[in-house]
Parts: sequence; C-alpha cells; structure tokens
Amino acid sequence: MARIGVFICWCGENIARTVDVKRATEEVEQIPGVRFAIDYKYMCSDPGQTMVRDKIIAERLQGLVIASCSPHMHMKTFRAAAKAAGLNPYLVEMANIREHCSWVHQNREEATAKAVELIRLAVGKVIQDKPLDAIKVPLTKRALVIGAGVAGIQASLDIAEAGHEVVLVEREPSIGGKMAGLSETFPTLDCSQCILTPRMVETGQHPNIKLYTWSEIESVDGSVGNFTVTIRKKARYIDMSKCTGCGECWNKCPMSKTLNDFDYGLSKRKAIYLAFPQAVPARPVIDKNACTKLKTGKCGICAKVCAAGAINYEDQDEIVTEQVGAIVVATGYKLYSIGQEQDNEKYTGYGEYGYGKYPDVIDALQFERLSSASGPTGGEIRRPSDGAVPKSVVFIACVGSRDPAKGVSYCSKICCMYTAKHTMLYKHKVHEGTAHVFYMDIRAGGKNYDEFVRRAIEKDGAKYYRGRVSKITEENGKLIVRAADTLAGVPVTIEADMVVLASAMLPSTGATELAQKLKVGYDEYGFLSESHPKLRPVETNSAGVFICGACHGPKDIPEAVAQASAAAGKVQVMFARNELTRDPEIAKINEQNCAACYACVRTCPYNAIEKAEIRDRQGNLVKMTARVNPGLCMGCGTCVAVCPSKSADIDGFSESQIYEMIKNL
Amino acid sequence: MIEEIRQTCRTLLEAGTVNVVIAYGQSNPDGPVHPIFVTKPDDVEKIVWNKQCFANLTTYLTRKEVKSLGKAAILVKGCDARSLVVLVQESQVERSDVHVIGLACEGVGEPELAGKCRVCEVHMPVGVDVTIGSTEAAAPEGQNRYALVDEFMKKSPEERMAFWKQEFERCVRCYACRGVCPLCYCNQCIVDKNRPVVIDTSATLKGNFAWNITRAFHLAGRCVSCGECTRVCPAGIDLRMLNASLAQSAEKHFNYRAGMDPETPPVIGTYNAEDKENFIR
Repeated sequence: MARIGVFICWCGENIARTVDVKRATEEVEQIPGVRFAIDYKYMCSDPGQTMVRDKIIAERLQGLVIASCSPHMHMKTFRAAAKAAGLNPYLVEMANIREHCSWVHQNREEATAKAVELIRLAVGKVIQDKPLDAIKVPLTKRALVIGAGVAGIQASLDIAEAGHEVVLVEREPSIGGKMAGLSETFPTLDCSQCILTPRMVETGQHPNIKLYTWSEIESVDGSVGNFTVTIRKKARYIDMSKCTGCGECWNKCPMSKTLNDFDYGLSKRKAIYLAFPQAVPARPVIDKNACTKLKTGKCGICAKVCAAGAINYEDQDEIVTEQVGAIVVATGYKLYSIGQEQDNEKYTGYGEYGYGKYPDVIDALQFERLSSASGPTGGEIRRPSDGAVPKSVVFIACVGSRDPAKGVSYCSKICCMYTAKHTMLYKHKVHEGTAHVFYMDIRAGGKNYDEFVRRAIEKDGAKYYRGRVSKITEENGKLIVRAADTLAGVPVTIEADMVVLASAMLPSTGATELAQKLKVGYDEYGFLSESHPKLRPVETNSAGVFICGACHGPKDIPEAVAQASAAAGKVQVMFARNELTRDPEIAKINEQNCAACYACVRTCPYNAIEKAEIRDRQGNLVKMTARVNPGLCMGCGTCVAVCPSKSADIDGFSESQIYEMIKNL
Repeated sequence: MIEEIRQTCRTLLEAGTVNVVIAYGQSNPDGPVHPIFVTKPDDVEKIVWNKQCFANLTTYLTRKEVKSLGKAAILVKGCDARSLVVLVQESQVERSDVHVIGLACEGVGEPELAGKCRVCEVHMPVGVDVTIGSTEAAAPEGQNRYALVDEFMKKSPEERMAFWKQEFERCVRCYACRGVCPLCYCNQCIVDKNRPVVIDTSATLKGNFAWNITRAFHLAGRCVSCGECTRVCPAGIDLRMLNASLAQSAEKHFNYRAGMDPETPPVIGTYNAEDKENFIR
C-alpha cells in the first residue's frame, strides 16, 4: 500500500467558509493508500510547511497531496518543502479546493463532497507519480528587445550595461519612438529630446547593442533560453556601411510631397529622408512609394549627388536570424483614431468633432509637434490651416477613453497630465491666449502631478470645465465648440481658433500579431497580458518573454522607464545562471513502440519532436523513431493525442495517471 | 495483359532491379487468389491477374519479413496505389525503395463487381513507375461516393445505434481487419497496450464498440476505401461504412481525400490558419 499524506488547507476562511474541512479530512483518511490526512489554517505558512516536512520524514511518505489553492499559486512552495525533506519534488500533487471549489460554490454539503472528490483524484494521480529530475537547458545570454521607444531603449541599455549582448529591433527608420517627438514632459517641463537623444546616441554606439532599425520580427521559434528570431530588414535602399549621413541626398531630392509621419502629417518630407534631425542611426531611407526612380526608373538624383556611393536602388528585404535567450517586448502605443475611419469595428469615432474635416482640430501628438522646437513651426504655436497664432484653444480630454459606447472603457491615464501641460506650453508661448479644457475627472495621481495641474489652473490660468463636448462646427473661420458645464449646470459655447483632442491610447499596430508569434496573451484591446498583475508585472505566461511600457497598458514615461528597468532586471536574473532548470513534465516517446509515422512531428506546435534513427553497435539501422527535444518540449500533450500507437506520453501527466484519476472519480 | 505483367516482372528480377515481386498467385485454378512473393525469374509464371485479385498488396510492404527480402516490386490497382501514397506520406515506405507496377483495372469481383469498384474513380493507378494495360472505364457520372453513408444517416440515432449494436455483437476480435489493413502498421497496436488498458480486449459488446470505433478514428483522413477490412471480416461487419463516414467528414470540412495526391500534406497534423473552427464549442 502506498504511503500518501494529505494536507488540507483552510486558506484562512477562503476554503473553510464553504468546505467542512474537518469532515473532509475524516473522509479522505478512508481513501486507500492515504496514510493520514491533516488540516491546518495556512498550509503555505512557515508552521504549515514545517509540518509538511516533519510528516514526510516521520511517516516515510511516498507522495503528498496538498489540498489548497491553485498549483499556479503554491506548487513551487510545496515542491520545495518536499525537496527539503528529502522527497522527490515531483511526488507532490495539489488538489485545488479553493478556485475549483470553495470560491465557486455556496452549498456547504456539496462543496465538501466535491472537495473530497478532488482530493480522491489527486491521490489517484500521486500514487502513479514517478520521481522526476528537473531538466537543465543551456542558455543563450543574449536578449532581444522589440521596439526602441523610451522603454525599449532603457531596457536595452540596462541589459547591455550588465554585460550582455542585446539585439534591438525597431520597425521605424530611427529609434526614439513616440517620446522623440514630444515637446516637453510633465511634471517638470524638461525638454523631451534633451533627455532622450543622449540615450539614443548611447544606444546607437553601445558595443553590446546590435541595432536593427527599419526591421520587423518575422517569426520566433524555440523557447526560453534558446529562441531563434527571424528578422526582416526592410529594404532601405541605402548602404549603411558607406553612408555618412551628410544630407546631400535629401536636400537635393525633388520629391517633397509626402506627409511627414514624424510630424503626424503637419509637414512634408522628401522621398529620401531622415526620420528627424536627431535620428539614430543618422542614415536616411528611401520611401519606395514616393521615389520616382523606384517607381518609374527615372530620376536617380540622390545616387548622383551621393559622394559615398551609398544609394542602392536594387536593395531587397533581407532576412536575418538571431539567437537569443530572453525577449523584452516594448512595442508601445498609438492614438485612437478620432475620425470615422477605425481599424477596430468596436470603435465608432467622434465624427461630431470634425477631426479630419477641420484642419484646426488636431490630436495631442500633433500639438506636441506644434509646440516642439524641432517641429514644423519651430516651436511656435501656429494653427495648421493658415499658420495664424490661435488666441483661443479648446482642449478636450477623454476622447475615446472611458467611453465603451464609442471607444475604449479604460482610462488612458496620461491625458489629464499632458492636457494640463499643453495649456501651460500654450500659455507660455501665447500670453494673451485662453486655454479651455473640458474634462470628465482630473486624474493626477503621482509625484508632483496634482500640484502640476493646479499650477496650470491657478498660475497659468487655464479654464477648466467639467463636462463633455457635444459638437464642433465651423463658422466664419472659428470653431464653435458646444458643451455642457456640469458643475455650473449650464450649456457652454466657445469660439475657438484651434481644438486639441486628447485621444485614447491603443496598443500599436501589429501588437496582437506579434503577441501571437511570441505566444503571449493579450486583452480585448490588444494590450499584452502580464503573468500576475501584482507579483509578476513584467513577466508573461510565455517563459522568457517580458513586457514593458505602453504595450502593456497606458503608461507615462516614468512608469514605462521603471517597467523597462524591471524587465531588464528580470533578464539579468535569468542570465545570472549558466543554465536553466525546467520542470520535467514533458513528452517522452517510447522509441521501441514508435511506428515512426511522424504524426507528432507534423503536429507539434513547438517543433520539439524530430525524426531519429536507432542503430545497433555495428551502425546498422534498427528502426526509425520520433524523439523529443527536452529543451523545446512544453508538455502540451498534442503528440499524445495524435499518436496512434500511444507511444507518446507526458511525464507527470501520463495516460496511466489520467486513467487512475478517472477511475477514482 | 497477364503475359505483359509476367514479362515485366521477369525483366525486373533478371536485371536485379528488384529482389522480390509482390504479386497475385493462385495455387488451384478454382481456389482463392492469394499474395505470392516471387524471387526467382522462372516463378513469374505463377503470377495471375483476374477478377479475384481483391487483395491490397501494399499491406505487405511494411512487413519485416518482406522488407528483409530487399528491394521489392509490387502490383497495384488504382485503389491500392492510394494506400501506397499514404504509406509514403507517413514515412513507412521510402518511395524510391519500391518499384511500383500499376495495373489498369476495370474492377474486381465476379459475377458481380465489388461495391468499391462500382464507384471507383482510379481505374488507372497514379504515381506508379510503370502501368500495364489500359482501360476506358471511368467514374460513373454524378455519382455520390458517400451514398451508402448518406442513406444510413437518414435513420434516427436510435436506429443507427441498434444497427451497430447488432453488427458489433458479432465481432469476434480476430483482428483480421487490422491484419489486412495497409495502414495498420503500428509495432504494438493500442488494443494490445495494457498499462493502462485502453480498450477492453474481450469480445464483449462494450469492448467491441471501443475497438471498432477507435480503429475507425485512427483511420480518419487516412483510409483510402480499399475495402479490405470489410472483405476479410469473418463476421461480415460493414466496416467500410464507418471509415467512409470519416472520409466524408475529411472531405467536407477540409477538402481532403487520402492518397489522392502525394504533394498534399496529410489532413491530420496539418494546420492552416483558414481551417474551420466551427466544431469547437
């Protein structure tokens, strides 16, 4: 008879409230193979664990069943306890009588009966458990960082400074992300470029950072410690090794009709262009949709003026692969599109605000460019339609945020702060102007944040109205903003020269496709999911993949940077070891029995099974078989399901264990 | 045609291209046709080709005893050629190791054609090294190859259950179906596994259901409807209908027919982003 110990936890009141723990303990003691059952208020606490350890030794246990919470929560805890008492840690099973029982039931009788059944299943399984050894996997101490905004730059620099190589991939021609285009940052009003560009230069020159700009992730194979990443280097039409960034080409290029996306359409750029003057790398790129030479074969001026001979019209996309051990995702955000055109059918847009119809209705990032010293107006606030200095500007907060009827239900978090900042920047430049703000609530939690908003209102005189804007129309060159002031209880109509919309933050385009490649979860909006909202905020459920910045949810710069450093810290913790240990619950092939039909090879989602030969000592082929690569197998069990001869099985979740559980039910 | 077959085989054996020819033989002119394994050129005279050549010889290609004879030539009808395609797809046979002699076939069975031959679409075998004979026979027009299944599915679930109970009650678990099937090539069949016992091995209704349904599932998207299981069943169970029903599903949902094209990857284990997911509830 097996010697199994069952430890039933009260989880304070969490389990004991619904499950009659005392009675369950008595009933469980009757299960064949159970040496004893014992209950305790907090099994995971120090006295609880001590009891587990002492009992293993005193009763010479062959296996444990801990009936408590989810194994996600405490499997590690109890395996460590078993190991400390000299029992193989994989002889521990958990019966989840909290999430699967007490939390979801009310009837005490039925819940108690179910708890006993769940424990009975676990006892059946643990009797069939075999001692296993953790798997050791070699580790590639290189990291991939996807996205080179402020978060990606911070993560890359931290990892690189720790002495590990970093592969930094950015799909735009320059690193810097959204922050490179901002004017000044709240709550200190320090210049965004002044604080970011030195970091950009450092990133570009760091000996440990391999930079791929104008490149995208094609595919990701492998698993934690050993990822193989395929990167598409988009055709740049510039030989990066020859180009000196002198600027002759873009100065001479005759095509200047393309809207400049760095200025969000507020200016024009050439067909061959530098993303912005402080770009890293300071090398141009040819827009193949705008360049006459690439479209019709005529022109070629840039090649003629290039003294370095760096222009290459024949350039093709190039596919490169990189081996890395960890991945940090920092793909950032984009703004909710206010006009009618939406890339998500759930969003309806704010047609009534006339964005796209009236040129002087702009979004927040466009206003950042208007007030930036490197922007299209050199930092002077001039409205897009006629270049006049607006005397009255209306700022509307929560456009798309907190409004599930039209946009998203969440708060975009940074709009209250940057709107206050915008009013200040405006007032500092146009002293006689008036800034009107329509808001729902002012959310200014953060160090010196509320003080900043009060300063905008009290020192700089921004006029704040609590209420929503219903419609914007144009009359005689003025934008008529109709709204409600819900505190005064009156309708408000303001004649404005310019309107700035603080639109919601969305995950950047392509974030969900990337998440699928990385096997990382995401929410209904496409923000990537962390492993645990409190305790594992930068980890994901895909081991070795970490997230930081706005790809995870709306975030301001300090938070994005803090999270980036946290993700980099996690990577360094991983890299501090020379090999990874993994739980050994992976597939095994009975090679004698395998018929080598390779259905498993075709089906395995991780490409973890390969065709192998069995040879005798003379080297003659005995038979072919399938073989599992333990470094790649994730233990999903697809091979077990598809194998016709039942030659595949999962250690720790074997067919015989599952059968035993079903039999015990 | 028989002379041409014998001559082809003789040439292959004499030239040493192959060591053995897997063919049809008949010890007694009135007796049954059985497989023969010809290793000497003079023995090619024992080869026959007539309306009794039901057997799908590809089943012998995966046998250890046959493999040990060395490179083989094999006679295949159109239907048999399809199972060879599946065997190659599933890495059981290296195509270059086999010399495949295709036989033009107007159907087997006398005086009445076998059921499978009445709806046959592959009178001329495809993917062979050489074809002997020719035929004008073509698939009957507007035919429904799943007519039997469709007819059967018109019955109520209770009637169908009653039918299969009646059929499986007779199964004696001789495993002739498994023995004759070219695609049942596992070293150890799932039914012979005893840790844990997945399928009850005794010839009871419960065990018989488990066995026959599991075998049908293992043939889903693989069975080429050669009909051998039905032919050899001593209890006369219409196993082909079970397999045809799954073949119909594979064709309906994934537009896939086993063994028709060596280039198309097998439906089980191939994932397309466009695959229907409407069966996931």
